[in-house]
Amino acid sequence: MHELGIAEELLRAILPQAERHGAKRITRVSLRIGVLRAVVADNLSFLFEHVARGTIAEGALLAIEEEPVVVACPACGARSGAQMVVLECPACGAEGIGLSGGDNLQIVDFDIDD
Amino acid sequence: MGNVTIPVGQAVQQSAEAEAESLKALFDGHRLLAINLVSSPGSGKTTLIEALIGALSGRKRIAVIEGDIETDIDAARIRKHGVQVRQITTRSSCHIPPFMLREALAHIDLSVVDLLFVENVGNLVCPAEIPLGEDVRVVALSVTEGDEKPLKYPLIFRTSSLLAVTKIDLLPYVRFDVGNVETAARAINPGIGIFRLSAQTGEGISAFADRLAALHDRKASL
Repeated sequence: MHELGIAEELLRAILPQAERHGAKRITRVSLRIGVLRAVVADNLSFLFEHVARGTIAEGALLAIEEEPVVVACPACGARSGAQMVVLECPACGAEGIGLSGGDNLQIVDFDIDD
Repeated sequence: MGNVTIPVGQAVQQSAEAEAESLKALFDGHRLLAINLVSSPGSGKTTLIEALIGALSGRKRIAVIEGDIETDIDAARIRKHGVQVRQITTRSSCHIPPFMLREALAHIDLSVVDLLFVENVGNLVCPAEIPLGEDVRVVALSVTEGDEKPLKYPLIFRTSSLLAVTKIDLLPYVRFDVGNVETAARAINPGIGIFRLSAQTGEGISAFADRLAALHDRKASL
């Protein structure tokens, strides 16, 4: 249920910006969400629809792009994508790799009717 | 009238982060060390705080904020130790939001506090997302929970600077490899400091208390 807090934060972030641009309606919001944030896209869309009711974002579509986990290997220098945390470099098998992506929760852009 | 795309490129939770910044300024103003203690329910957070109050007695002045969805059972336990304590009941919220922490802090005299423990709602997901302006985030993991937890809940291990492996007196009775936990936690967060603790036997408690005291010494001397 942590998607509810995220939906509220998202609305709070975009409404003032949309108003500054003279928006009559927000029609689409594009997000990039790291898989480590454990956000269920359907839950977030459902809850956003709920919190946006009665605002200019009512009915806006959430376009959610998943950001994969990225691991960086100090041994071979490879940066590899993964669907979850891994402990060995997918390229050379070395241990001691570092995590370098997959935990973002970003608003990329949004569409308005002005 | 037309359709326009507005570029944003900002984190969703920027407003929560701004609230956390203002809490940080409050803590810094009092030169106190704020510790956000996170874990699943039942990992022994309250018991750990009680043990630390004992270990730091006479050295550091402690205050505790207890976060739970319901009841003030934990605050009542802490109050017996004679430190300032305030209970937050979050009701529907699965974490302590910054504004609730601020309201609770209005009931604490921060000018006589060195270490502020904020015991978050028991949950390995939501508290990871919400910064409270803390200096130190401690994630507690008890040996009865399973050693795969850092891989299943990586965000909370990534955003914590210390890991307290609790209830190690139970290690002979459970299948739990502390080495696995340490390897996984360091893969997710190479700088994480790891302590093996038992509030029952007292093992590791003084070392952990010393680390927190040293962090406060360093902050107070800045």
